[in-house]
Amino acid sequence: MDSPKALNSLSSAAGENVMDTGSTQETVASEAAPRIPLDIRDHGSVGDAYETIGTPLVENAKMSARKVNVYYGDKQAITDVSLDIGRNEVIAMIGPSGCGKSTFLRTLNRMNDIIPICRVEGEFSLDGEDIYGSGQDTVLLRARVGMVFQKPNPFPKSIYENVAYGPRIHGLAHNRAEMDEIVENSLRRASLFEEVKDSLDKPGTGLSGGQQQRLCIARAIAVSPEVILMDEPCSALDPIATARIEELIDELKENYTIAIVTHSMQQAARVSQRTAYFHLGKLIEVGETKQIFTMPRHELTENYITGRFG
Amino acid sequence: MNSTNEPRRSTSSAAIQASLKRRYARERRFQWYGRLAVLTGFVFLFILLADIVSKGYPAFTQQYIMVEVDFDKEQLGLAADATAEQIADADYLGLIKRSLREMFPEVTSRSEKKQLYRLVSMGAEYQLRDMVMDDPGLLGQTREIWLQAHSEAGSYLKGQVAADSDQADRKVKDQQVLWLDQLRAAGRTESRFNTTFFTAGDSREPEMAGIKVALYGSFFTLLVTFFIAFPIGVSAAVYLEEFAPRNRLTDLIEININNLAAVPSIVFGLLGLAVFINFFELPRSAPLVGGIVLSLMTLPTIIITSRAAIQSVSPSIREAALGVGASKLQTVFHHVLPVAMPGILTGSIIGMAQALGESAPLLMIGMVAFIMDAPTGITDPATVLPVQIYLWADSPERGFTEKTSAAIMVLMGFLIVMNALAIYLRKRFELK
Amino acid sequence: MDTPTVFLLLIVLSIAGFFLGRRRSRTVVAGEGGARALHSLPKHYGYMAALWALLPALGLLLLWMLFETSILANIVIGELPASVQQLPESERGLYFNQVVSYARGAVDASQLSDVQVAAAEHYRELLAASGKLKALLVALMAVIGGLLALRRIAPALRARNHVENIFKWMLFACSFLAVLTTLGIVLSVLFEAIRFFQKIPATDFLFGLEWSPQMAIRPDQVAASGSFGFVPLFVGTLLISAVAMVIAVPVGLMSAIYLSEYATRRFRSVTKPVLEILAGVPTVVYGFFAALTVAPFVRELGESMGLSVASESALAAGLVMGIMIIPFVMSLSDDIINAVPDTMREASLGMGATMNETIRKVLLPAALPGIVGGILLAVSRAIGETMIVVMAAGLSAKLTINPLEAVTTITVQIVTLLVGDQEFDSPKTLAAFALGLVLFFVTLLLNVIALYVVRKYREQYE
Repeated sequence: MDSPKALNSLSSAAGENVMDTGSTQETVASEAAPRIPLDIRDHGSVGDAYETIGTPLVENAKMSARKVNVYYGDKQAITDVSLDIGRNEVIAMIGPSGCGKSTFLRTLNRMNDIIPICRVEGEFSLDGEDIYGSGQDTVLLRARVGMVFQKPNPFPKSIYENVAYGPRIHGLAHNRAEMDEIVENSLRRASLFEEVKDSLDKPGTGLSGGQQQRLCIARAIAVSPEVILMDEPCSALDPIATARIEELIDELKENYTIAIVTHSMQQAARVSQRTAYFHLGKLIEVGETKQIFTMPRHELTENYITGRFG
Repeated sequence: MNSTNEPRRSTSSAAIQASLKRRYARERRFQWYGRLAVLTGFVFLFILLADIVSKGYPAFTQQYIMVEVDFDKEQLGLAADATAEQIADADYLGLIKRSLREMFPEVTSRSEKKQLYRLVSMGAEYQLRDMVMDDPGLLGQTREIWLQAHSEAGSYLKGQVAADSDQADRKVKDQQVLWLDQLRAAGRTESRFNTTFFTAGDSREPEMAGIKVALYGSFFTLLVTFFIAFPIGVSAAVYLEEFAPRNRLTDLIEININNLAAVPSIVFGLLGLAVFINFFELPRSAPLVGGIVLSLMTLPTIIITSRAAIQSVSPSIREAALGVGASKLQTVFHHVLPVAMPGILTGSIIGMAQALGESAPLLMIGMVAFIMDAPTGITDPATVLPVQIYLWADSPERGFTEKTSAAIMVLMGFLIVMNALAIYLRKRFELK
Repeated sequence: MDTPTVFLLLIVLSIAGFFLGRRRSRTVVAGEGGARALHSLPKHYGYMAALWALLPALGLLLLWMLFETSILANIVIGELPASVQQLPESERGLYFNQVVSYARGAVDASQLSDVQVAAAEHYRELLAASGKLKALLVALMAVIGGLLALRRIAPALRARNHVENIFKWMLFACSFLAVLTTLGIVLSVLFEAIRFFQKIPATDFLFGLEWSPQMAIRPDQVAASGSFGFVPLFVGTLLISAVAMVIAVPVGLMSAIYLSEYATRRFRSVTKPVLEILAGVPTVVYGFFAALTVAPFVRELGESMGLSVASESALAAGLVMGIMIIPFVMSLSDDIINAVPDTMREASLGMGATMNETIRKVLLPAALPGIVGGILLAVSRAIGETMIVVMAAGLSAKLTINPLEAVTTITVQIVTLLVGDQEFDSPKTLAAFALGLVLFFVTLLLNVIALYVVRKYREQYE
């Protein structure tokens, strides 16, 4: 099963930069630079017992999380977060770096299991099934809840093999023709097929950054997940490639439930229906994306979206 | 929800579910392979060490037999006014033989006598001679003296040979076993810590052989190695890290260093034989040549580790020194090297430990001679500890197996101390 | 005078040079505002004088030391009677060695002929004369060097830059030694190997299927010149290396995988250093272990199963060599696997792959070039390993690939041919160098390929 493998970068980062496992120094710096960054701690700290403003819970949720606490060793990364993810919606998670949004995302398909010092408390369910329950199985869970990472990370294999990887390990195709079909469909859904159809046997690492990220999305959807988690999928991409991914997310929401962590408020506003604002490990406010960006109800949310700190 | 997507979703979930059992079984199997691999390494290490220690520890004790010796002048063929030279040349072996015969008067046949004499070490006569030389007053007296047992008799006394085994399979014969049992019953046998092992040179007789000469040889050889390899290695590392321009020559040097690190050690021996012994005619079997060869062999290790140590010195130190007007050379020698020194020393100690355990190239330059006297300088013929081990391992006598293992234990002891020192230095270095 | 004394004298002269140089630098500027008028500090002028005195003289001393014995020997041998001159080289060497031992006082005159005693006296005289001449020349050289430097001292002389340049050249010389060493290895084995190939055709060596370097005692015996077919040695070497790899690669690789991907940090921090002890054990210890413990064990085991196993089987030597190489393979693969970015692991685990699927289908294929490079390095090490095979492998060259039989290897033959009494110039001795040449180039080739592959692999993920 998932072993306590110490992912070096993660566990070492966990010591210093407790929250937000996939923390991105570059993006933090670039976003903070234009404004005068205020110390977020000056802006109304929230007590330990707090209540999330807005509508964290929805009817008939695809995934739900209740009273989630996450610790890295002694340090608490997430405090008492409850949040639902609705069916076929795109939910964006925003907040300053180190606010716990990536950590929260990773708890949804138990990617935190691979960090030995990480401890998760709370109730999670997918279609009513307990995610952390003893009957649950990470292999099946992760097949149902796929993930796309911050940096495009295609395997050093051919484009075809990259997409075929998931179906192959899960035994989803019974013959070559079925596999070809899955690969083609996945690439089409990731709107990459037309660009790579003549070079399926070329290495995936040879593609451009944006194409690589779409390849990663194709790879994720090849196992027909129900939910796709995206951890800042565009942070390493240029604006044009970012636009393509955003269009793609828009198309994908027809078939999939998507949770996306992003540093870019514009992106959150463009792709999501609901937005959740995290601050220092706490879920401050959740609501319709339009409402969050036009009429934030919490002071911290307002400060954040008006760029008072990043 | 998309209607075309929904059925596939459930089938894929079911397909995955169906494959889970098989996949987890494989996962467990794979983990067990891993555990098994680690365990295999451990088992090998354990068997190796246990084998050496179990074979070697008896060598640290030595058996003695108490014999009543009558220092009769007549028997020794000495006149009343014998000179020191005459005393030295006297027949002490005969003295011992007579004493043994007196202890077992029933022994009469030639072959039995021969067996009887083999109870005590060949070295016993020298022990008596030295006693008389020290104190000529002993002449004419009778003393009870502990004489060193012959290695085969000793091995019976240590319990390494079972008395009920077939006589043909062992060196100690039944008659000797009988005598030894009698002696033991009379309290005339004793086991002591084996000092001979540390104070004697090589010998044909296992009970008289020791590692002193080899230790001296190793010491002189390492001394030469250190004084050549350390300054040259550090200088080369300093040059390559701090001064070398990026050009073909530097590349050539770097490629050479990396390759030399992987050249088989015996090839360095061939170099030593062809260049230092045949061409320059330096003395064979000497620590001088051994040290030169080993220093060429360890140089890459020292250079590579020293470079890493120098590299890890923070550039701010260099900038600070250069900023106050120090020259590049002053910066390196006054500021960079002192900070890098623990790392450099760690690498050098590891290199020295390598050199201490190395034997193949030394075989090539003739350090395999049978040497009884400790070398007094770097040009005297010598052997080193690993080569001594090689020589003893080749000897058929059972007693030497024991000595070989004991010598290995001493060698490993030195290596452990050196490596512990290196680890200690590295730990301290990391703390800074 | 003996060398240490001369060396000491040289050091004294060079220290004197330092003080003289420093004083002179002060005196030349005495009238012009003191030491501030100097380009460099007074001590740099001192260093300069000291180095000028030391370096050339030291070079002379080293050369003298290197060539003294051979030159003197040639002089003395040249004066020996014609009957001795006509002796074959090996006997003449023996004859002369007695002369030298007598001259050193190691043997007494009773073992020598009068001619030898006379030659020894002459040798002793020459040695003394050479010692005096050496001391004189070295001292002279030092004084001249020092004086030249002193004469050059002037306020405008950039002594510091000058001294630092000398130092830089010395540092360069130290690192250039690596190139000289390689050159020395190549030339020494090549030179002797060429002499070997003048006696034995290279094709006989490279393609011959029989190796028996023992020269016939009677000239009328068949194969009076011995046979020097290299193939059985090479096959034997490969056989033992292959056995070693069969042990070392799976155990080393799986240990590395388990320790880096599954084991807890604590388990790893204890286990790894313990396994690395295997790498620090001297090879002679492995040889002893192989010869006295493993070989008899393998033999008995084989016999209990009804197989006939040679007492010096390739299996035993290879097995122990494999144990020795385990930590080598382990730490190389560990480095290589850790170089695969964590994002690969996350991507695979994130889509529901189990850890072993991730390792087998993503990590290992990604790390494959690096691992292959590491294994090549391990093979090169196995081929060059000497003590284990010298002590535990056979001496007779048998062309077989059955690991239960005794085979011999290149390194074993080099040691056997060169240890003990040597007949100079016999093909037997020279053959060792031909084998050394092959060994050097085979391992060099493997190393170069392996280092290249590993470097390319690392660059890919940097």
